[in-house]
Amino acid sequence: MRNVLTIAGKELRGFFVSPMGWVIMGLFALLFGYFFMAHLTYFVQQSMQAQGGGPININQFMIRPLLQNVALINLFLLPMITMRAYAEEKRSGTIELLLTSPVTDLEIILGKFLGAIGFYAALLAVTMLYIGILFAFGNPEWRPVLTGYFGLLLMGGCFLSVGLFISSTTKNQVVAGAATFVVFLLLWIISWLGQSAGPAMASVLDYLSIVWHFDDFGKGVIDTKHVIYYLSFITFGLFLTMKSVDTERWRG
Amino acid sequence: MIEVQHLTKRYGPFTAVDDVSFRVEQGEILGFLGPNGAGKTTTMRVLTGYMPATEGAATVAGYDVFAAPIEAKRRTGYLPETPPLYPDMTVREYLTFVAKLKLPASVTKAERVSRIDAVMAKTRVADMANRHCTKLSKGYKQRVGLAQALIHDPEVLILDEPTAGLDPKQIIETRDLIRSLAGDHTVILSTHILPEVSQTCQRVVIINRGRVVAIDTPDNLTRQLKGSATLYVQVDTAGADAAAALSGLSGVRLVSELDRHEQAVGFEISAEADRDVRRDVARLVVDKGWGLLEMRPLRLSLEDIFLQLTTDESAKPSASDAPVVTQAPPDPTPGDGAQSAPESEQPHA
Repeated sequence: MRNVLTIAGKELRGFFVSPMGWVIMGLFALLFGYFFMAHLTYFVQQSMQAQGGGPININQFMIRPLLQNVALINLFLLPMITMRAYAEEKRSGTIELLLTSPVTDLEIILGKFLGAIGFYAALLAVTMLYIGILFAFGNPEWRPVLTGYFGLLLMGGCFLSVGLFISSTTKNQVVAGAATFVVFLLLWIISWLGQSAGPAMASVLDYLSIVWHFDDFGKGVIDTKHVIYYLSFITFGLFLTMKSVDTERWRG
Repeated sequence: MIEVQHLTKRYGPFTAVDDVSFRVEQGEILGFLGPNGAGKTTTMRVLTGYMPATEGAATVAGYDVFAAPIEAKRRTGYLPETPPLYPDMTVREYLTFVAKLKLPASVTKAERVSRIDAVMAKTRVADMANRHCTKLSKGYKQRVGLAQALIHDPEVLILDEPTAGLDPKQIIETRDLIRSLAGDHTVILSTHILPEVSQTCQRVVIINRGRVVAIDTPDNLTRQLKGSATLYVQVDTAGADAAAALSGLSGVRLVSELDRHEQAVGFEISAEADRDVRRDVARLVVDKGWGLLEMRPLRLSLEDIFLQLTTDESAKPSASDAPVVTQAPPDPTPGDGAQSAPESEQPHA
């Protein structure tokens, strides 16, 4: 565990001492800010029109779609978090240090995953500033916000575990980044096929789609079905990473 | 301290290391010598647990590197060919990170800091402690790499070309440092620079195309192959028949003219095995009334041996040459060049 934390600390530090981490954070805040503005304007218009029927629910009409949009931002920005993870170590040769130190492959992988998810959590923390504004000027319910963020963390974890795996297969950061983006996109749009594949197939494909599982979290519901899906997805991603690191060892 | 038995590593159809066996005693410095691509780095990577071997076994400090990799790694310091530095860390941050990974959990923070200071002093990088690794010169990078390998005071040090890319002064300093480490540590270092081996190492493994072709001390290797059996003689005012006269001496096998400056002529004289022809040569020179300018035994430099052993054409030493492997390891399995016991000398029934 100590080794995991040492490596996680090194990874996390790597984001904040290089411009890259700050650039990603800035872009994340920028995109989230744009969505925030767009949703807020829409929400204000809606509540004006709905004056007769009393105030409309800010959780349902503002926060939930906003958090769902984070999934879209993740699609573009999370590949940049993981693309370096292994590719850069392999290119610069520092992987030789890690693999010849008295730590196990699993400790290295968990450390890298923890570092990546830590940075992602920092990104989410920035977005909480915007949500804070809503709390300052309105009175949204905090529980659905919390479950929403919990869901985002799990969803991000899935993306990051896949990204880690892809990064472990190549020396080239750009290849890792591009491939990760494509895989994320496929995991997102896999449910589109369902519309033409019949109801049975549709529910299977829906189930595979990473984003579909997020819906309930946004509504304030923590369904174990979704938690288990996300956790098993992450475990599978890390398992693939481990196999890939092992294979690389044999191949040299 | 280090024992390698029948180690083989294949990459697909390509055999990088082929049935290599050797052992290194405690406190010894072993030189790993071979042309580029001979399998030096691969062997070292197997020993450090970076990659598994296809066949064979390796033990470091009493631990099998395949069965107990963590224990073996705890006792091994490794400097890869390119020092594995993180560019955005300062030297101190980097060594702190490595120390956290390599030192046992029982070490306190204060002990860790003093350990880092001690290693930085030993490798003379303390003045760069707060500089980022990316801004270091090649010499400093190499030394920080060495500091990284030493941080947990390992019993075994494995250094892949520790002096590559350094300037002459740094090379001497690094060699001195490595020599000072022997005794406390067991060292394997690889190089393709030959003087380095004769100056630093107590024993040499010459490896070519993945096979061990010779294992011995640098001195023995140099002496063994031709040794005192060859003389260099320079004379002046000698007639054109000088070479023929020298050839006529008993025990002289071959005379060839090496150089000629005005009156002075230099000859290389090969004697038959175990014959000392120096007295006869000196007497002949005096009798003939030539001036004797120089006479010295010709030793093959390590370079010549290396080329002989690793170049195919001259891989097999001639019949009169002694075997290359004199201090045989438990099972040396020597390669082509070392299978030198000539059939003609072995009585057939």
